[in-house]
Amino acid sequence: MTAQIHSFPRSTAVAVTVLPLEARFSLRLRAASREAAEAALGLPLPDRIGRTSEQGGRRALCLGPDEWRLDVPAAEAAAVAGALEGGIPHALVEVTDREVTFLIEGPGSLDLLAIGIARDVRRLEVGRGARTVFDGVQAVLVREGEERFTLAVWRSYASHVEELLRQGAREIALGL
Amino acid sequence: MSQPFRIAGHGRVDHAQPVRFTFDGRTVEGRRGDTVASALLANGIHLMGRSFKYHRPRGVVSAGSEEPNALIGTSRGPGRFEPNTRATMQEVRQGLTAESQNKWPSLSFDVGAINDRLGRFIPAGFYYKTFKWPRSFWDKVYEPFIRQAAGLGKSPTEADPDHYASRHLHCDVLIVGGGPAGLAAALAAGQSGAETVLVDEQAEIGGTLLSEPGVRIEGQGAWDWLAAALAELRTMPNVRLMSRTTAIGYYHQNMVGLCERLTDHLDVLPEGAPRERLWRVRAGQVVLAQGAIEKPLVFDGNDRPGVMLAGAAQTFLHRFGVKVGNRVAVVTSHDSAWHGAFDLAHAGVKVAAIVDVRAEVPRVLTARAEALGIEVLTGHTVTGTTGRLRVATVRVNPVQGGRVGAGRTIACDALLMCGGWTPSLHLFSHTKGSLAWDAEAGAFLPDRKTEECEIAGAGRGLWGVAAALEDGARAGAAAAKAPGRVAGVGTFAVEGDRTGSGVVAKELPTDRDAGLAKAFIDFQNDVTAKDIRLAVREGMRSIEHVKRYTTNGMATDQGKLSNINGLMIAADALGKEAPAVGLTTFRPPYTPTTFGALANLRKGRHFEVTRRTAIDAWAEATGAVFEPVSLWRRAWYFPQAGEDMHKAVARECRAVRTAVGMFDASTLGKIEVMGPDAATFLERMYTNPWAKLQPGRCRYGLLLGEDGFIRDDGVIGRLAADKFHVTTTTGGAARVLNMMEDYLQTEWPDLDVWLTSTTEQWAVVALQGPNARKLLEPLVEGLDLSDDAFPHMAVVECTVAGFPARLFRVSFTGELGFEVNVPARHGRALWEALWQAGQAHGVVPYGTETMHVLRAEKGFIIVGQDTDGTVTPQDAGLGWAIGKAKTDFVGKRSLARPDIVAKGRKQLVGLLTEDPAVVLEEGAQIVADPNQPIPMTMIGHVTSSYWSEALGRSIAMALVEGGRDRMGEVLHIPMPGRTLRAKVTVPNFVDPDGQKLKV
Repeated sequence: MTAQIHSFPRSTAVAVTVLPLEARFSLRLRAASREAAEAALGLPLPDRIGRTSEQGGRRALCLGPDEWRLDVPAAEAAAVAGALEGGIPHALVEVTDREVTFLIEGPGSLDLLAIGIARDVRRLEVGRGARTVFDGVQAVLVREGEERFTLAVWRSYASHVEELLRQGAREIALGL
Repeated sequence: MSQPFRIAGHGRVDHAQPVRFTFDGRTVEGRRGDTVASALLANGIHLMGRSFKYHRPRGVVSAGSEEPNALIGTSRGPGRFEPNTRATMQEVRQGLTAESQNKWPSLSFDVGAINDRLGRFIPAGFYYKTFKWPRSFWDKVYEPFIRQAAGLGKSPTEADPDHYASRHLHCDVLIVGGGPAGLAAALAAGQSGAETVLVDEQAEIGGTLLSEPGVRIEGQGAWDWLAAALAELRTMPNVRLMSRTTAIGYYHQNMVGLCERLTDHLDVLPEGAPRERLWRVRAGQVVLAQGAIEKPLVFDGNDRPGVMLAGAAQTFLHRFGVKVGNRVAVVTSHDSAWHGAFDLAHAGVKVAAIVDVRAEVPRVLTARAEALGIEVLTGHTVTGTTGRLRVATVRVNPVQGGRVGAGRTIACDALLMCGGWTPSLHLFSHTKGSLAWDAEAGAFLPDRKTEECEIAGAGRGLWGVAAALEDGARAGAAAAKAPGRVAGVGTFAVEGDRTGSGVVAKELPTDRDAGLAKAFIDFQNDVTAKDIRLAVREGMRSIEHVKRYTTNGMATDQGKLSNINGLMIAADALGKEAPAVGLTTFRPPYTPTTFGALANLRKGRHFEVTRRTAIDAWAEATGAVFEPVSLWRRAWYFPQAGEDMHKAVARECRAVRTAVGMFDASTLGKIEVMGPDAATFLERMYTNPWAKLQPGRCRYGLLLGEDGFIRDDGVIGRLAADKFHVTTTTGGAARVLNMMEDYLQTEWPDLDVWLTSTTEQWAVVALQGPNARKLLEPLVEGLDLSDDAFPHMAVVECTVAGFPARLFRVSFTGELGFEVNVPARHGRALWEALWQAGQAHGVVPYGTETMHVLRAEKGFIIVGQDTDGTVTPQDAGLGWAIGKAKTDFVGKRSLARPDIVAKGRKQLVGLLTEDPAVVLEEGAQIVADPNQPIPMTMIGHVTSSYWSEALGRSIAMALVEGGRDRMGEVLHIPMPGRTLRAKVTVPNFVDPDGQKLKV
């Protein structure tokens, strides 16, 4: 379930919600260990930066040559945390609480993202993600659908980003 | 009011919609679609302001953003006053309050106009020559005088209640300028499918076409063609049209800044609407179709209200349905003014005469003038004007063989001038694109490009609607090809096009003393032709020097009207060609831009990011005072009723030393170092040994740079053989992670170890004080917290208050201490659970100030306060933290450098003032002998200084040369009015044996 941030203006143009916490990990390992890790996690690990993969409710986003963001249901957190123990050199660190993830959807979503993101978000294909910057704040952006994005920022920056998104959403709702 | 100069039914304004506003308190009626300038002219008001230096009465000169004279203050209520708004750009709205500037007591009678009479005593370079000596006059006389004289309009004094927006935009083709060239470019690029953006600074897109309704394009009237072209562009999903949008700057790699005015034209402000929006556009190709700016002619009295550009009069006539006078005279060096005169004559304005400085003028023009009953005076000059607040007559003289004949006077209520046209290459100039002088056109034209751009139309010297359309289509098609589109080059059948040419004039010849002529070049900065000549006589050779000496072109219009005339006159005075004298470079922004637009979202709460912890809201609700620490805000102290900072901190310190305090340590940097080579990596990064540190134990870690100086420190806990929980200073978190990544990726890519920032994963609560264990014990499940089972510098993963936790037994106060890490979402709940449990044990929350005092009482350093980037571990008394058996670590070799091991380095010591009540100032300098002559030899400085509640006296730490060899010595701290004495001690003031940790 997602919760509408009540202070956001109701608008058909763009809606912003904060996603509830499931479980998120940062996975680091060498290319040579990738296949073994895929088997252990039951999840393909894309080898191109920005690609995502999904299987059985788990998702991987490749953020670097040796870096993946894993999103899994909260109930599977413990299982995933221990999945790679023994044998595979790696770092698997839970970062669920490090981040706040906004869901931005609606026909105005590209405009809303453009208030803070310098890159051309239109060119991000559906199902791809990128580490980027929103108004000076490091963020991970994923295009979940044509007009549906998630934007994850570190927790302490969330109120800053949220207020800017609110201001931008109000401006877009006005249609000026 | 009746608008006597409005032509009913004429122009593009909505005659059915009157708009009322005030100008200097007087109600003025205009039409929807008017600018303030056109509405005032419709009411016969030419006098719109006073000039900056001489306070001469001034009227509107132009009809566009280049306007130098008609600068007004505008307001729509408290905080919404803006000075220096160009009346030619501000659209009228109901209730707009406008006022003229630089006048006192009134616009029509101004005391400062005395400067005008004294003008000959205020020549170019006046300030440089006059305000030189005596030195003592500078502060009290000269600077206040200059400050009073400087500045246009009044600065707003209230905070701006508006907010401003910001947007990024990407496109294939950005077209600047919506005249015929820009429109043709947009059609070509748009039809190719390229993502196209067309911007225009005016309220209405159309440029020249708005002022040339008589031209026919493709068999349609210009306005019908314009409407059809805009309609077609609006149907294209790949085209974005933006009016009221000024391209203010052209930066590297086709980044163009746009300022869009969203609400200044609206009668009523929509709730929450941003006033302006700054766009940062990254364009594949840029088409500059900015047209050309008409040049004034330079003659005595050319700044009198009613003297204006001929093209502006044509725009006021066609676009706004306003005639600028009932009886106008024209003086020109270019064909274009003739056409303007004809249009005015057709509209019923009496054109008294057309004066052309050229002896030869195309017969087609003179014949037409004669047919309209206009007197034609070719080969003539203008030598003066009269009229106090509005031009009344113009004096004209024949010129033959360079000799100026006798003058005669022609009555007129407006004088239209045209000195030709200057291609508008401001944005091109921003890119450092080079210009080439075209002697025939008498203009600089674009030459070598540095960016992916095309220049189209009048901006590259082409003249006429047909040429502009054709060139725009070419430029649009060329720009669209770059992203791989196929674009056709449209052709346009144009009838009634009014092409023409002219000559470049310097100041017009006169039969009078040129030294007395007030022939203005720069209207806004009050620079005359003779100022330029004086500057050359006084030794200025480059246009850059002439500009700064005379201030020509240095006003807010950046010399849009004046630069080229100034250059021609300087070149003439120097006997050189114009390009040999040079052209000044235009800088962004193209036109004056509000600070609001430039700051946009970065105002108020969002001026800078403020990072907040999970416990921040509790601290705020409890009345904490905050201090900024890097981007974080941290609770500084928690005052209770009636407490100042000193009292609050003293109470917090007492509570920690005698009971227990709780502290939000969440901002500490945290890095998870994980992988089979984690211990090896830390061995190499930190000075301390890590290989033998057992899981479940912690150690203080010291990080140096390659130079051997302290960079950071923090406690590191080993959670497993391959997993360490590293903490850093709050401000050093990102820097340390970057430094580690740098070494890992470039020096030791072979190590199987990875770094993950977990600063924000964990909320951290520190419990410090003799009651800490008693408070914590009931909340910890299945863990023996006794000193034997869980000694100082132990770490364990456990459950605290029902939350999964990493529990450290550490102390930054010298007291029994624990730090509880829980996932950040539980931070607030953990804090409140500990707060509740602590009520029985005298718990107090404490802030960063108390934390600083308590650590100073123990001599623990703060990196960046007690170190300054030149302090080694030995200097700081931390030699014990160096693993003596280690073969290497970052900075090890530097610690053996001769100057690092030399005697006499500054070392960290404690200082106790002789007067225990005196708290030294941090940063105060220290000397050995207070009686030595000034300048004294300074041997160190105070780094930390506090009132110690535990000792009932002040304490301090200092870096002092050879400090550890001076134990017991009395040093001196000279302060204003007195010199303080302090004794050097070991920097460990409370419980020096550390007994309090062993409980």
